[in-house]
Amino acid sequence: MVATKTYYSRDNLVVDGNRLKRLLGSGVLWLEKNKEKVNRLNVFPVPDGDTGTNMYLTMRHAFQRVTEITENHVGQVAVALAEGALMGSRGNSGVILSQIWAGVAEALKNEETLTADGLAEACKLANEKAYKAVQNPVEGTILTVTRHMTQTVIDHHAQMYDLVALLKKMVFAGRSALRRTPDLLPRLKEAGVVDSGGQGLVLIFEGMLFPLVGKEIAEEVVSPNEEDSWEEALEPDDELGYGYDVQFLMRGSEMNIEQVREDINNMGWSTLVVGGSELIKVHVHVHNPGEPLNYAIQLGASLDDIVVENMQAQYHQYVENRKNREEHDADTTTFEDVSTSSIAVIAVGSGRGIARVFREGFDVGAAYVILGGQTMNPSTGDFLDAINKVNADKIILLPNNKNILLAAQSAASQMDEKQVRVVPSATIPQGISAMLEYANLLTTGEPTIDEVAQAMTEALDYVVTLEVTQAVRDTVTNGLSIREGQWIGLIDDNLVTASHRMLDLIRDLFRLAGADGRERATIYYGEGVTEREAKAVVEDIRAEYDGLQYEVIAGNQPLYPYLIALE
Amino acid sequence: MTQRIGFITDSTCDLPPEFIDKYGITVVPAFINYNNNSYADDGVELVREKYYNDLPHLRPHPTTSAMSTGLAEEYIMRAAQDVDHLFVLTVPATLSGIYNAMRLALQRLPEDRYTLIDSGNLTFGLGWQLVIAWEIAQETGGDIDAIRKALKKIRVHTHVYCALETLEYLRRSGRVGWTAANIGALLQIKPMIHVYESEVKNDGRVRTFRRALDELAERVRKHAPLEKLAILHANNPSGARTLAEMIKDLMPPDTLTSIFITPAIGTNIGPGGVGAALVEKAWRNEPDHAIGT
Repeated sequence: MVATKTYYSRDNLVVDGNRLKRLLGSGVLWLEKNKEKVNRLNVFPVPDGDTGTNMYLTMRHAFQRVTEITENHVGQVAVALAEGALMGSRGNSGVILSQIWAGVAEALKNEETLTADGLAEACKLANEKAYKAVQNPVEGTILTVTRHMTQTVIDHHAQMYDLVALLKKMVFAGRSALRRTPDLLPRLKEAGVVDSGGQGLVLIFEGMLFPLVGKEIAEEVVSPNEEDSWEEALEPDDELGYGYDVQFLMRGSEMNIEQVREDINNMGWSTLVVGGSELIKVHVHVHNPGEPLNYAIQLGASLDDIVVENMQAQYHQYVENRKNREEHDADTTTFEDVSTSSIAVIAVGSGRGIARVFREGFDVGAAYVILGGQTMNPSTGDFLDAINKVNADKIILLPNNKNILLAAQSAASQMDEKQVRVVPSATIPQGISAMLEYANLLTTGEPTIDEVAQAMTEALDYVVTLEVTQAVRDTVTNGLSIREGQWIGLIDDNLVTASHRMLDLIRDLFRLAGADGRERATIYYGEGVTEREAKAVVEDIRAEYDGLQYEVIAGNQPLYPYLIALE
Repeated sequence: MTQRIGFITDSTCDLPPEFIDKYGITVVPAFINYNNNSYADDGVELVREKYYNDLPHLRPHPTTSAMSTGLAEEYIMRAAQDVDHLFVLTVPATLSGIYNAMRLALQRLPEDRYTLIDSGNLTFGLGWQLVIAWEIAQETGGDIDAIRKALKKIRVHTHVYCALETLEYLRRSGRVGWTAANIGALLQIKPMIHVYESEVKNDGRVRTFRRALDELAERVRKHAPLEKLAILHANNPSGARTLAEMIKDLMPPDTLTSIFITPAIGTNIGPGGVGAALVEKAWRNEPDHAIGT
């Protein structure tokens, strides 16, 4: 926050080379302190979060050159700054910044000191160069901020010899232009941020202003490591808030427009006063809307077309709307999300975690998950019901269990109004493997339902399924003698091993399934197993099979403490 | 009249030093910024293996940026001294500020002294375009028009495919829009990308490296016969070897089987990736009218 108090003195009329150096140093420092904040604003042209870093690196390099100047000469300082920026510029914002300094140097290169007139000329050339720095200038960016700052200085330099006051006006104009950048660039509005490059520029000049108003940057509180939310990014810089936008027409006779302009200017920011002796149009942003209105009445003018908008309230409204929208978005993803994609998947699974993987684990998820599995086989009617509910006319069924395959096929053959295909997935991991192919095809092209079904069917072979469950009675199968209550292990639905000890059983399954030759093991732990237990099991297995990548996911499936996919 | 032709590009082209020497190509480095410093991507300031090994642990995450206009200008003016005409080929303007830096820097030269081209591709997708353009310059005695026409045709027959270890770096780079909407990390995936005509396209996801290599081989095969091929990797030479073995039958004689992707690109894709950059032979059958000349 910049202090509102100004030290008027003769010193304020002229800045020499040494003082300019100090001011620039302060500008660089202020930018450095705030560069992470600028990075987080960065959404245009690409949201790569490096505008602050790039502008800072550009300025640091430029300032390095400046410090090498020994003569007390504004022109030499400006030329060094421009050269340094040109050589050190990084990124789009850095390039534009370097052109701004190039314009400044061109205007000031022969000047020993800086005056209000010199600043105006420097701004004019800087603005011209900035706009030429990019092939297609876009408004709502650092360019808009530059233009408004320039215009303000050009408008006021003739009346304001005081450089400090002029620089303050310039910074105010910059901030105000910055606040309006979201109105000019939709990308900023969507993200709820102001332009990052423009913010960087304003910071540099704010920093330059600090020493002039007797402020030390070291005292300023900056929290560079906190993640600013969009709400924080939108918060007004001015502690009094965004204020009011006031517009009106003054009708009178023999009015002095120069005087009116100056007086209105002193009341607020973003001032626009145009017209003649009988009609004057006033536009100004102020904290107290009564002030300009009173002033006009006291001049004896009659007022017309009075518009007063509470910008602070508009800001609150925006924040509220956006919060509502975000909450609403979070609520609309429901369990039975009806798909809008051309081809939808209906999968069978049990367990919250398993259902979640089918629905949310992919760029395009399953439109519907029918609860069911080994001991709870959905019927043909359940499939038909789901098919009717899903808002798509091409549907793929993933039964994810051999015992459910027939019901799925029967539903598919009974459905005439919609095209239905069955991908014969026999296990949950097979179904998940097929889902990835489904999402791939739908996000990269416009495939036919048969192409999708075929690719999904091929994907069933990419995975080996290991299942762990408990024997419900004594039995002899596949040459194994199994007792009730023992853990039994299956590989792709074939019972291959049994043990009283879970870990031995899983180890056995890995060995029998040839896990050595695989890359990835995904462990879905079921109901009654804690994450810690699952991770402990994985650590033991990893000790033996350390060539695999492991993932542990809460599947919450009943009856099967562990479902494991080897890929 | 024989024209002396010069070529300038940026360091994302991945041309190895021996190519740069042989063809006399000028390479202006991009920059990698981290630890409050800016490093030139010139093969000297950063050691590739070390940088890739460090990359996952660097905080804040490194970023990349175009060279300064001033630096580009220095390289351009130096190169322009020895030649009649400069061809300047860059990484896509949609992905980097390099094209604009070059454009600004070139303003010091008369317009008839240079041709600035957005190659629409990167790594050896850019590299091969330079190599073929150089070859045509030799064959034609520096026929500027012939080189321009050829480059327009080659561009649309140049493809880069890559399988990445993770989408994280690409997403963080902010340079590719679709990565932002990616579903959370419920399941780990390896993204496949296809770079073509200035766009980084989502080319699907796989779960294992083996699948990634199968998919890559299948994609390269679709473009046969090939005029140029380079196998690329981001600190994964064994992955590159395996892929090379799988597509041995498609290789043109001058195939490069292990190009280590430069840190300026690696910063934006992360370590571990494997890919291929190719130019289809079909570009030579492209009629002139097809490219709007």
